[in-house]
Amino acid sequence: MSAMPSEAGQMVWRHKSVIDLDTWTKEELYFLLDQARHMENVMDRPIKKVPVLRGKMCVNLFFENSTRTRVSFELAEKMLSADVVNWSVSGSSTAKGETMRDTAWTLEAMGADIVVMRHGAVGAPQYLASKLKRAIVLNAGDGTHAHPTQALLDLYTAWKHLGPLEGKKIALIGDVLHSRVARSDVIGFKTIGCDVVLSGPPTMMPRDVEALGCKYERDPRKAVEGAEMVYLLRIQRERQQDGLFPSVDEYHTWWGADEDLMSYAKPGALAMHPGPINRGVEIASEVADGHQSVILEQVRSGVAIRMALLYLCGGGAR
Amino acid sequence: MGKILFSGFKIFNGTEFLKDDSLLVEDEKVVKIGSGLTCSDAELVEGGGKILSPGFIDLHAHFRDPGGEWNEDISSGANAGAAGGFTTLVAMPNTKPAISEPSLVEYVLSHGKAAKASRILPAGCVSKDREGKEMAELLKMAEAGAVFFTDDGAPVATSNLLRLALLYTGKDEPRIMEHPEEVSLFKGGQVHEGRVSALSGLKGIPVASEEIDVARGIALTRETGGRIHFTHISSKGALGLIRQAKKEGLDVTCDTTFHHLTLNENAVINSGYNSRYKVNPPLRSAGDQAALWEGLQDGTINAIVTDHAPWHMDEKDEPFQEAPFGIASLECAVAVLLDYKEKNYPNIPLELLLTKMTSSPASLLPEKWQTLGRLDEGSFADITIIDKERTRIVDCQTWKSKARCCPWEGIALTAWPVATYVEGRKIWEDDEEL
Amino acid sequence: MAELREKAQLMSAQDLNRVIRRIANEIVEQNKGTDNMMLVGIHRRGVYLARRIQKIIEEVEGVKVPCGELDITLYRDDLTTLFEQPMVHSTRMPQDISGKKVFLVDDVLYTGRTVRAALEALVDLGRPAQVQLAVIIDRGHRELPIHADICGKNVPTSKNEVIEVRVSELDGKDEVVICERDA
Repeated sequence: MSAMPSEAGQMVWRHKSVIDLDTWTKEELYFLLDQARHMENVMDRPIKKVPVLRGKMCVNLFFENSTRTRVSFELAEKMLSADVVNWSVSGSSTAKGETMRDTAWTLEAMGADIVVMRHGAVGAPQYLASKLKRAIVLNAGDGTHAHPTQALLDLYTAWKHLGPLEGKKIALIGDVLHSRVARSDVIGFKTIGCDVVLSGPPTMMPRDVEALGCKYERDPRKAVEGAEMVYLLRIQRERQQDGLFPSVDEYHTWWGADEDLMSYAKPGALAMHPGPINRGVEIASEVADGHQSVILEQVRSGVAIRMALLYLCGGGAR
Repeated sequence: MGKILFSGFKIFNGTEFLKDDSLLVEDEKVVKIGSGLTCSDAELVEGGGKILSPGFIDLHAHFRDPGGEWNEDISSGANAGAAGGFTTLVAMPNTKPAISEPSLVEYVLSHGKAAKASRILPAGCVSKDREGKEMAELLKMAEAGAVFFTDDGAPVATSNLLRLALLYTGKDEPRIMEHPEEVSLFKGGQVHEGRVSALSGLKGIPVASEEIDVARGIALTRETGGRIHFTHISSKGALGLIRQAKKEGLDVTCDTTFHHLTLNENAVINSGYNSRYKVNPPLRSAGDQAALWEGLQDGTINAIVTDHAPWHMDEKDEPFQEAPFGIASLECAVAVLLDYKEKNYPNIPLELLLTKMTSSPASLLPEKWQTLGRLDEGSFADITIIDKERTRIVDCQTWKSKARCCPWEGIALTAWPVATYVEGRKIWEDDEEL
Repeated sequence: MAELREKAQLMSAQDLNRVIRRIANEIVEQNKGTDNMMLVGIHRRGVYLARRIQKIIEEVEGVKVPCGELDITLYRDDLTTLFEQPMVHSTRMPQDISGKKVFLVDDVLYTGRTVRAALEALVDLGRPAQVQLAVIIDRGHRELPIHADICGKNVPTSKNEVIEVRVSELDGKDEVVICERDA
């Protein structure tokens, strides 16, 4: 396989821009997880910094507010000694009166090496990458499409707790239809060999669930049964106004994760959530704060996995 | 203008290939078809076995004129049509202002004539200013030269308005062309509801959106005894409803597009969500695509149209979700279809496809234009010459259209139009082809 | 990449072990005992060499000196010129290195750039009282003002040659060979 260490300390890492995980192999995923482990060690040192991306310019180009993801990338970039510029634009590129083509050329003229991009429109990072000659693009979330670094940090967290993930069952519960996290997690966990089962209101599921290669269970207890990890997706309250579910209370009663629902999972199963959590909606406090929750650990994993990704994709000559 | 003798061609007359190999044009008309014709005072065009067909008729094209001329105007559109092998193009009325009164119908006709390229026939709106409220002056527009009535870009807004328009136009006036879509299901939609929406997260447009509107149109046609033409049919289900209505004897017709016949949702996925594949109706499933080819063969589909929807690069070259809908294809559509057929449906006779681009669409136009799409002695000399061996790479940068991207950019296709004549006058020739 | 062709064996297993033993003795001698001492092997072969030295010192002195491992990948100065990124290995120190007399252990000293990176990496981990360098082979061609405090053997080489120190833990056997790059 292409990402296996080809000899002592060497490997062929083929990914530069990372838009989604569609073309990643299982070996590449594990390789990244392994590298993230070493990056996490750097976070524990008295001097939390290594010089590996010294002189590289990272632009965090955020068209949507996301303090968590942006801060996580920024910490990762700074720990690798990159120069960091935060460029936040509210609204779409058209709203600010510049086409994304012009944005791309501007970034390149400024000498950006790595562009971390968050955008509300599906396909925006892919588009930006296609216009950049030199710089690479790391997708920090595009619309409802993909959020690859979230999936990678979820894999990393699960792997640290559960060991090799092949054959393990995981349940993803919530608004899959509008969730880029769900899409990337499904691909990531499926690629690494997990059995992924979805649950949530039928109005929040893609019609063609089979295209995702997953089973769907309307009853979350069936989805959770025997699972070693239960992943709760964030419910946007606006979806209720769109008529996708009648009330927050009904959602919580049916699909919210409480101790009762968790009791159907394997003993010791993990509870995960991409954050920020809505207590009393998709997750009860007893689960969010309970011993099974690794939600805060996911945050820490996010920095490590982003360091590994920045190092592997963003370093080196081009 | 004088005489032109076409000699050594495979002649398609609009429904079948003839044994004859030559055709004599005098001024704007075909005067003689035969074998081994000679004529000493005529300009001689030698075919060398190329196909000579009635000029292609596209019942559905957008020219953005008036109001959006940086995207396309009638002149660039008429020339793009000529370069694509189309001699007659029906201009959709969803311009700014919308074509919903006779003076605007005349505007389109006169600008079309001035272009000295393909013949431009205007479609008028069903509703005043395309607002979906009151009926526009349909009879006056028909008199001025409108050949269809449509609120294309959107369905006729209410069932009541569609019913009244069907009653009002009856069997004698231009047909109502319906853009089949149930608006509340379409809202915010970007792609086909299915594999592509599941994988991308883009909001899906279910096939039910098309089926519901087709069912509505059929019910109203049955009740009013009117005539309806459903344009750009994309789904198996809608096609089934139309097939049934035809069996029942209703005057229901439909067309599909070159791109729905040759692409499906996988193209959107494989492109990494490139906006050049963004179109409404969306590229559907492979099953829907296959159903369209069945619909062509069993006669359910009457015509193949481009739904040419040109955009300036500044508007179209955006991330998928932010780009406008529309595929511009006039200058490659014929080659796209013929190349695809040869690779995927080699057993379908070429005549079938040519018929759906010539005599069959012509029969849906007002009586005055129904001889277009046929080559008989006495018919207009609208001619397209096809070279089945010609291979060319699609290069949008050389287009006469103002659009500069399409799904086939950079792809080599075989079987291209190489020359176009309208009323005996050559309006375009592939200049590399000598 | 050019193929490596093995040219000659410089040390047999026995030779290599003799050298390691001598280096272990010299380390203890220079340190005047094992007080406050710490061994740090540089990834990858330096780590195994340091562990052997640790074992020898334990046999001779009866003291288990702390032994860490150091990965210098993230400190290399040639990363921006490489297309592929080298794999990162773990850095582990059994205790704080501040105030310690650190002996860096590596297999071959060549340009000095690895040692420079190792010094920088060490400094980020703490403030040692002293850092010294022990290597099996010094093959010359230094590009930086760095020298080995303890050296198993000096081997003059050409730039076209490569010295490989093989350790049984990684390579299945102990030996030192000289290889040549085919053009």
